[in-house]
Amino acid sequence: MDKCIGVISGANIENNFGALCIHRPVYMLPFGGRYRLIDFSVSNMVNYGIKTVAIFTGEKIRSTMDHIGDGKPWDLNRRFNGLVLFPPVTQGYPINLKGDISQFFTAMDFFEQVREKYIFLNHPNILAKVDLDKAFKHFIETDADITMIYKKQEDPWGEYINCDKMNINEDGEVLNIGMNLGTETDFMMSLKTGFMKKEVFIKVVKEAVEKGELYNLEDAIMTNKDKFKINSYEFKGHTENIRNLKSYYDANINLLKKPIANELFYERGTILTQTKDEPSTLYTETANVQNSHVANGCIIEGSVENSIIFRGVKIAKGAVVKNSIVMQKSEIGENASVINSILDKETQIGEGVRIAGSTLIPFVVEKRQKIRKD
Amino acid sequence: MDSKVVAMLLAGGQGSRLKALTKMVAKPAVAFGGKYRIIDFPLSNAANSGINNIAILTQYKPFLLNTHIGIGSAWDYDRNVGGLRILSPFMSEDGGRWYTGTANAIYENIDYLDGLNPDYVLILSGDHIYKMDYEILVEAHKKKEAAVTLAVMEVPWEDCSRFGIINVDKDNFVVEFDEKPENPKNNMASMGIYVFTWSILREYLLKDGEDKNSDHDFGKNILPRMLEEGNKMYAWIFDGYWKDVGTVRSYWEANMDLLDPNNTLNLYDKNWRIYTKSRNLPPQYLARGSRVKNSLVNEGCYIVGDVERSVIFSDVVIEEGASVKDSVILSDCRIKKGAKINRAVILEGSVVEENQVIGEENSDGVFMLAEGQVTKE
Repeated sequence: MDKCIGVISGANIENNFGALCIHRPVYMLPFGGRYRLIDFSVSNMVNYGIKTVAIFTGEKIRSTMDHIGDGKPWDLNRRFNGLVLFPPVTQGYPINLKGDISQFFTAMDFFEQVREKYIFLNHPNILAKVDLDKAFKHFIETDADITMIYKKQEDPWGEYINCDKMNINEDGEVLNIGMNLGTETDFMMSLKTGFMKKEVFIKVVKEAVEKGELYNLEDAIMTNKDKFKINSYEFKGHTENIRNLKSYYDANINLLKKPIANELFYERGTILTQTKDEPSTLYTETANVQNSHVANGCIIEGSVENSIIFRGVKIAKGAVVKNSIVMQKSEIGENASVINSILDKETQIGEGVRIAGSTLIPFVVEKRQKIRKD
Repeated sequence: MDSKVVAMLLAGGQGSRLKALTKMVAKPAVAFGGKYRIIDFPLSNAANSGINNIAILTQYKPFLLNTHIGIGSAWDYDRNVGGLRILSPFMSEDGGRWYTGTANAIYENIDYLDGLNPDYVLILSGDHIYKMDYEILVEAHKKKEAAVTLAVMEVPWEDCSRFGIINVDKDNFVVEFDEKPENPKNNMASMGIYVFTWSILREYLLKDGEDKNSDHDFGKNILPRMLEEGNKMYAWIFDGYWKDVGTVRSYWEANMDLLDPNNTLNLYDKNWRIYTKSRNLPPQYLARGSRVKNSLVNEGCYIVGDVERSVIFSDVVIEEGASVKDSVILSDCRIKKGAKINRAVILEGSVVEENQVIGEENSDGVFMLAEGQVTKE
């Protein structure tokens, strides 16, 4: 994998996450008790030996800067290669600054200078621990210009409407990418991830800028699909396509299933993240925790069921937390009840307060909000 | 800190009474409190106290200790100016020597200290569990214009015979050392933490170095000699949690202390964090049917069975029907179905087989499982 650089591009993501994404990009959403979505992308690349990782941050970059920093948790704080952050360019270039093409174009020096000949492009909102060695081997052996990775997604309930649908022929060549309308019970879901020859990438980006008609890399590739050899690679593992509040909630709750937690947390390399120096979690005499993930630094005195509890959370005596996601440093007071809810960081639920949503529409408490009983 | 302070952290101790716990590692590297190693406490204290230069003197089985400390990143000691140094015994023109005593370890590294030329030298031990702001200690030393300041604390009268007891005048200046007394005059014990004015310490280290009859020990040789020759020695009283985990029993007790939510060590204090090298493991998972009460559990654990009044380190699996009570389970252990563990310390990487019973519920002993062997203390 040392012939390849990793590129994470989270720009131009529509916002379906309400209060959770007022201050952070989607890829910075807390996930699984102690991670951010982007940790999965970065860790998977690093675990497969990619040494240079470029992140196109999109806007709302502050939480990204704080979390990613110099890339130390992923060993990307190197003198050679390592982490490169590209904050959005918003002015100063005589080109249209819509879409990701303009962001890649303004970073052309970087792409031209790196020694690696291949690019691994990844979308951080789709979690999939793709075996990059195998996928890269497929890309090289088939001598493709571009290899796109997909997952054959079962969807009997139409939960994946509006996701990117990939159509391929029997040789695995990509014919087109459209929008899934749920007309079939399963479909090839594009993971918006894949390999590309660097020279092809540079050519596509430059041509798109010269013609001035296309603003997104995917559109630019598919418009010119006859010029390149574009094939596909099937990912057979577990995928979480986090595209709205419901899928975000479900992805967290899915971690309570052992095979899914095992695959995402342990198989093919562990996930690295910023560490917080929290002590172990303390369970007191009155604690009762069932089927839940609990991170370090918590003090649990109440009941917790089917939930994901992040670092440094306090749950007081008599409090009940059920089917919920409770983020870092939140505090739940005595006899409060939190059901089917998502509490963002540092929220405080006062004594005796009862909040509840449904598993379809979880109740969201914004960051640092305090809810008290009148 | 305004004046230049260099900390010398003595981490060469074997801790032989900890038996199997120190078979492979030095006492400062023994795991403690769910995720720490003992040396994390003095190291974090130093970092939190604003000490910029710290040297760690290693000797006994240093491999794990060296790996754990690395270049000191976990404590923010990976710096361009100052930072952390590991000083191990070395060869010179007249041969190589081991450190023969606490004072000798400093004496052998006089060149290191001369290079830094500090105002004060803080002597710490890597064997104790406590939180202390060394800045306050150094300030007291300066204010009292002492040659040396000793951190002392009250110990139970019946334990005085295990400690070096310090007798002081009404202003807390030391008048007499009473090493492990049968009939103590007071109950103030030395904690093995000293601040020396460097110029004075240097002089005494050189004198002591030439003395063939000396054991080259701070408590036994340097301090009594300084007192005899009329140096001002101040006793600074520390009031807080402090534990020397000398034996398997006291190791077990110190871990159990943490289960009281109001324990005075308070690891949850955000203003005085204890730092350690992180393994970056996923959260712990408590399955349906698990029962975890009055316990500390660390990252990466997978618990289906019962856990009561116990400290569970990282990546421990406790299977269905297994029960762990009043015990300390170190990292990477697997407690299989139906196993019963009571009042035991289970060493790193152990596997407790199905239905195996370790320890006794109504015993006053402490049991330890190491390399498949159970011992009782």
